[in-house]
Amino acid sequence: MTGSGQKQPLSSRRRRENTQWRGLLYIAPAMLLVIVFFVVPVIFTGWMSLHNWPLMGTSRWIGISNYTRMFNDVRFMSALRFTAYYTVIVTIAIFAVAFPLAIFVEKQRRFVGAYRTVIFLPVVIGLATASLLWVWLANVDSGFIGPALKALGLVERSPNLLASFDSAFLTIIIMVVWKIAGFTMIILLTGLQAIPAELTEAARIDGAGRWQRFRHLTLPLMRRTIALALIISVTGSILAFDQFYIMTSGGPQNRMISVVYYIFNQSFVSFNLGYGAALSIALLVILVLISIVQLRLLRIGEERP
Amino acid sequence: MIKRLLAATIVATLCLMSGASATETINMWVRTGVGDSFKKVVEAYNASHENKVAATEVPFSELVQKYATAIAGGQAPDALSMDLIYTPAFAAAGQLEDLTDWAKQLPYFNSLSPSHVRLGTYQDRVYGLPLSVETSVFAWNKDLYKKAGLDPEKAPASWGEIEANAEKIRKIGDDTYGFYFSGGSCGGCMIFTFTPLVWGSGADILSADGKTATLDTPHMRKAVDAYRSMVKKDLVPASAASDNGVNFLSFTSGKIGQQSLGAFAIGTLVTEHPEINFGVTLIPGIDGGTSSFAGGDNFVVTKGTKKLDAVKEFLEFVYSMEGQKVMAQYGSLPTRGDIADKVLEGLDPRMQVGLQAIGVAKTPYTLQFNDLINSANGPWATFTNAAIYGDDVDAAFQNAQSEMQSIIDNAQ
Repeated sequence: MTGSGQKQPLSSRRRRENTQWRGLLYIAPAMLLVIVFFVVPVIFTGWMSLHNWPLMGTSRWIGISNYTRMFNDVRFMSALRFTAYYTVIVTIAIFAVAFPLAIFVEKQRRFVGAYRTVIFLPVVIGLATASLLWVWLANVDSGFIGPALKALGLVERSPNLLASFDSAFLTIIIMVVWKIAGFTMIILLTGLQAIPAELTEAARIDGAGRWQRFRHLTLPLMRRTIALALIISVTGSILAFDQFYIMTSGGPQNRMISVVYYIFNQSFVSFNLGYGAALSIALLVILVLISIVQLRLLRIGEERP
Repeated sequence: MIKRLLAATIVATLCLMSGASATETINMWVRTGVGDSFKKVVEAYNASHENKVAATEVPFSELVQKYATAIAGGQAPDALSMDLIYTPAFAAAGQLEDLTDWAKQLPYFNSLSPSHVRLGTYQDRVYGLPLSVETSVFAWNKDLYKKAGLDPEKAPASWGEIEANAEKIRKIGDDTYGFYFSGGSCGGCMIFTFTPLVWGSGADILSADGKTATLDTPHMRKAVDAYRSMVKKDLVPASAASDNGVNFLSFTSGKIGQQSLGAFAIGTLVTEHPEINFGVTLIPGIDGGTSSFAGGDNFVVTKGTKKLDAVKEFLEFVYSMEGQKVMAQYGSLPTRGDIADKVLEGLDPRMQVGLQAIGVAKTPYTLQFNDLINSANGPWATFTNAAIYGDDVDAAFQNAQSEMQSIIDNAQ
């Protein structure tokens, strides 16, 4: 009796250790990928950011100079301002379009499959390809938008949409919404479909109107989905690069330089890899902070369903 | 098993390598926007030699960063047709093959384009040799001149005259314009075609030692005004405001009355657009005088390439009478002074204007050329768009002046 009693915890501990090792074994491939392709590069970037590291030639240790330089860098600050401005506008625009679309395609109606497909179609085009397509659409002479406006008699002459900041910015926003809204719509759609029909039914029986049902039932139940869509949209917008590089090469008078564009310019045009690395680390910190704030605001992860 | 596999692979690789040495393929990069002269000389070489050159075109605004990244990543081409302005920077970084001994034994070494060789020489060693020479010139469409009631044989001599002519040409039709330039932050296009306006009048955008930005001069203000006025009067197509250099050769459409372009473009026009009847003259300065930008490419070899002999053979072909003739036919001025007259013999007489421009031409010398001038987001490129198309000319001058100075200071 006593012998078996002493043996019992020992074997269970061994079993627990066994399971832990096995668990580790299972996640090892994923861990390996993360370590090789994320952790190591980030550590290396951090190491580079402490050097004056030209693209060609030898690097030199300069401590935190790259980081102090950042705070006096007017162009970096204006890149930050522009990125923030773009992120706010484009996120609002995407949600303003994607939410109604999600509600529209959620209901079973005729051709709903076709609607979903058509709206989702632009998502599967690469962003660079879409940008090039829109460069042509916005072309003043041989494009579509300008000549079409002229043909309709809305304007006297075909406008050069990419020549002034406001019209170029508007073009890019419309392009990105056209390209991304379908994806956000699908995410929101899964959230909508996860709401049990009984709840809506009950609310309706209790006499809740359409808006009340949306405000007090749909929105709270979709908090997690919205958080996911929001974080994807905000992160993607902060990392925006292709559309500005391809469509306006930084915009009329450099007014469309996003942070990633600036990092690219510093690293591969001015060949300051070290400073580019420092800016990347700063951007990483900013992104992590913004994501934490978003999760806090939407109170995700505090309670378990 | 693995050992055996490894051995087999090594044997196979060795076979491939020895097989390749009989006829080598040189990988070369060339920037876009330099006309067809290089492409054609490669074709001529490939047709007559066992070794082959595989040329890859790289967008001119990205060539430098692509090459630098390729070197850093060990994927660099064997040789490169590089804007001569960048040779010092790459030579200083120790990335180019030293060609001194071979170059100096060439019988015509002393008659190679001196400014190319000067920029290709770093600490008394030669790293770059002239491949193509071009200068900027002013071209006008004689047919449109005729239609507008102007004398097609009379070259305009001042910017007042150019503007007046442009107004008359604009009246011909809705899609006919008097003047064109790539105004959408194309630093390379504008340093090539626009700075001659101030150079011709004795001003410059950098001090002689390259340490001070001297952008804000009365001459530059006047030059900007001349362009602004033509834009305002609707003499320039709306597309020019966002043209980042892609449509630099708009003159070839036959709908543009006048444009400053390069000798390469003369070659392209003569060979590919014979229907366009045009004249060429030197670019007038804003306050009298004439000037031009002398540019072109140096031939550089990536350090450590295994195909040095084939590369040398190719370059010797380029310098031969045959090679020089092919190059000149497509718009590259002769790089060998000793046979220049013979090379141009029988070619389009308008090429002579390009050659003549060398006499008044300038080439800015600065190690920060890419950062200051050529980069699409650099101060010069931004300035050209902001000053000509923006609402606040004073701010454009101020911003560009201070940003140029800060780039120069940071690099010291």
